[in-house]
Amino acid sequence: MKLDAQIRATLGSLDLDVELAADAGETVAILGPNGAGKTTLLRTLAGLLPLDHGHIELDGTTLDDGAGTFVPPERRPIGVVFQDYLLFPNLSALENVAFGLRARGMPRTEARAVAARWLDTVGLADRHEAKPRELSGGQAQRVALVRALATRPRLLLLDEPLAALDQSARVELRHELRKNLASFDGIRLLVSHDPLDAATLAERVVVLEHGRVIQAGTFPDLAANPRSRYVAELAGVNLLTGAGRGDHLDLDSGDQLVAPGAGSGPVLAVVHPHSVSLSRDRPTGSARNAWPGTVDSIQLLGERVRVRVAGVVPLIAEITPAALHDLELHEGGTVWASVKATDITLSPA
Amino acid sequence: MSTRGRRVPWFPVLAALVAFAFIAIPLIGLVQSVPWTSLWGDLREPQATAALRLSIVCSLWATLLAIALGVPLAWVLARVSFPGRSIVRAVTLLPLVVPPVVGGVGLFYAFGRDGLIGRYLYSWFSLQLTFRTAGAVVAETFVAMPFLVITVESALRSMDRRYEDAAATLGASRMTVFRRVTVPAIAPGLIAGAALAWARALGEFGATITFAGNIQGRTQTMPLAVYLLLESRPDVAIGLSLVLLAVCIAVLALLRDRWLGAG
Amino acid sequence: MRRLGSIWAVAVVAIGLVATGCGSSGSGSKVKATTTTAKLTGSITVSAAASLTEAFKTIGDSFKAANPGTNVTFNFGSSGTLATQIQQGAPADSFASADQDNMNKLVAANLVDGTPTVFAKNKLVIVTKPGNPKNVTGLADLPKLGVVSLCGATVPCGKYAAQILQMAGVTLPASKITRGQDVKATLAAVTNGDADAAIVYVSDAKTAGSAVATVTIPDAQNAIATYPIATLKASSNKAASRAFIAYVASPRGEGVLQGDGFLPPS
Repeated sequence: MKLDAQIRATLGSLDLDVELAADAGETVAILGPNGAGKTTLLRTLAGLLPLDHGHIELDGTTLDDGAGTFVPPERRPIGVVFQDYLLFPNLSALENVAFGLRARGMPRTEARAVAARWLDTVGLADRHEAKPRELSGGQAQRVALVRALATRPRLLLLDEPLAALDQSARVELRHELRKNLASFDGIRLLVSHDPLDAATLAERVVVLEHGRVIQAGTFPDLAANPRSRYVAELAGVNLLTGAGRGDHLDLDSGDQLVAPGAGSGPVLAVVHPHSVSLSRDRPTGSARNAWPGTVDSIQLLGERVRVRVAGVVPLIAEITPAALHDLELHEGGTVWASVKATDITLSPA
Repeated sequence: MSTRGRRVPWFPVLAALVAFAFIAIPLIGLVQSVPWTSLWGDLREPQATAALRLSIVCSLWATLLAIALGVPLAWVLARVSFPGRSIVRAVTLLPLVVPPVVGGVGLFYAFGRDGLIGRYLYSWFSLQLTFRTAGAVVAETFVAMPFLVITVESALRSMDRRYEDAAATLGASRMTVFRRVTVPAIAPGLIAGAALAWARALGEFGATITFAGNIQGRTQTMPLAVYLLLESRPDVAIGLSLVLLAVCIAVLALLRDRWLGAG
Repeated sequence: MRRLGSIWAVAVVAIGLVATGCGSSGSGSKVKATTTTAKLTGSITVSAAASLTEAFKTIGDSFKAANPGTNVTFNFGSSGTLATQIQQGAPADSFASADQDNMNKLVAANLVDGTPTVFAKNKLVIVTKPGNPKNVTGLADLPKLGVVSLCGATVPCGKYAAQILQMAGVTLPASKITRGQDVKATLAAVTNGDADAAIVYVSDAKTAGSAVATVTIPDAQNAIATYPIATLKASSNKAASRAFIAYVASPRGEGVLQGDGFLPPS
């Protein structure tokens, strides 16, 4: 079972041009900033937005060819979990889950029995008759998931399934979702803006920006070789772009970055936060690259501290709490950031 | 009385009192002129009972027709984009502003025995609407339907359509989506529209008397009976007026939360 | 600033009220009726039975032409409704009824100045759609029709019609009778509606012209409507009202009435 899609669609000012393929048993995460077109992409796959050009083929059947063939959503073997869950407010949890089954012809009693079993598997055995407004965020998310799964779709589309939850619920449900997705044997496409979702739930990641695929691959691949600021931010690394001049880069932001083997032509330079050193005054050690800046934000993450430095060359540095204390850093204060030339990973842009 | 801290301004309050009195005093005048002792007997007179029965039957049929025809129209106006839509909507709402008598004249030239459509109804199906109860129903539907179309169209426009998307992705056909998702979502607007349409149908006079005529037992609904009886049997006329008034108050009271805001 | 706004609003409302109160036509205007050289001026309102519509409008125009400075406004309707309105204080200077009963009501209520003058009579007639498509020959054919239009049971022409039908022994089931609130509405059910026939005054049939076909009711079966007219005590322009009545009863007035199908008063 395979999904093969070449999607060209417009919605308002968004112009989507994406090629996508996925296999059964695979979870693909679609990441991107707001407005990148992730939800629009999902809607074309669901049949809620027709293609302008291209095709969507699922399991050998053409769902949409941008011309004469268009299979409407109700006839596609899909299941969708929407961002706000969209549980029907006038129906109970059980009736919500039974909805798809009844819509496809199953008699009422049978549908309710099947729905009951699904709800039990996600631990909602005692919430069958609850109305959506009586459910907690986590419970609603589970109902939405089994509602989509109950009709045994071939393609499961999840639109920011954890976005509506608070932090602690998100952690717990991410774990649950992982289990539930694993037991689903179709193709799974997950849209999210949270890289943690991608990292924990998906085997493959596709990054969308402005309606185009910027990068695709496994999450470690992306983290190691980010090709855009957004991906770099996702991976939590620093990404600098510039033109290679042999032993240094002329950065797009204006300054220079000393890096051996820069070659010529456009270059992407990745600097890990732990390679960035901070000091009060201009460093006198062997680091070739040093710039002054102001502290933008300080974030404590367990035993590490992430400091964002704004300046000619904006960087994220990772230091110890002790160093933070010694440097007496505070937001708005001045600081020097330096990078060893040998600590920079270069790749052609 | 208070308006959140500041002194109550005298001018709007005075004007409001005048406005309220303007509406309330005629109603009070009507109620106080009711001959309570003879009321029950008056309403049992043949002309009164015929009018009461006719009014109920015709207004209910008119409401049903208004729903059956008005909901699809509201759906098309709300969901389908087509050239000239605003003109179609304006025409649909015309019975709200056109004098009902004018509506009745129009109905006659359309559905009378020699009318544009009426002539075919008559020659092909021997169907005559004028001077028939069905004609009274048609006249009442004509004036009542716009109320229903307005409220249902508004409800359709303001509902969250993503629920319909969700239902479609679950495999529901368009009819199923309409039945199980859309209608429950617009239910308050639908009910409010139906109640208003019913009240309007009940009180309809000008179109009915012009198109369906004034035949006791066939087309002489309560408002027509009141008009004729006012001169000869004012007691009965006032009794019938009281019934109409009571029905309308009941309808408005029922709707107060949904349609007119907090009670 | 807000103070000023509310004062303005009150001022506008007040001016509006005053403006509509004054300057309207009607019997409010003052008239000096001098005893000798009676130069007639001022307006009068005449409440008259609906069947008098065309005739009185013509008479009113010539009266105005003969007495420049006067104005006649008409209020046509069912005699019964008009009489009730006058009893409730409606501002009319003269009243012309289609039957004696309604005039007597006002006389008994002491609302009439002097004695009423009978100025015309009328008979009734059956009217049908042009060409008489249902071949109505007389009262006996009426029950065979789909719908017959009659005046309301308490309207003079309705009473006369009931009289006529009863005397001829013809019964029309209630489900076939559509009622009009005055004779013009009753006529309209045939000219502009689907009623097969109506019983109206001969004068109405005459003024309707080719819009209807007429079927005469034999004199033996017919009723005679008597039309009295009188000045009302509450009139503020009795001189003009009396002059109008005199004009109606004059040969010129009678000429118009009879030209429209009315019968002479005697």
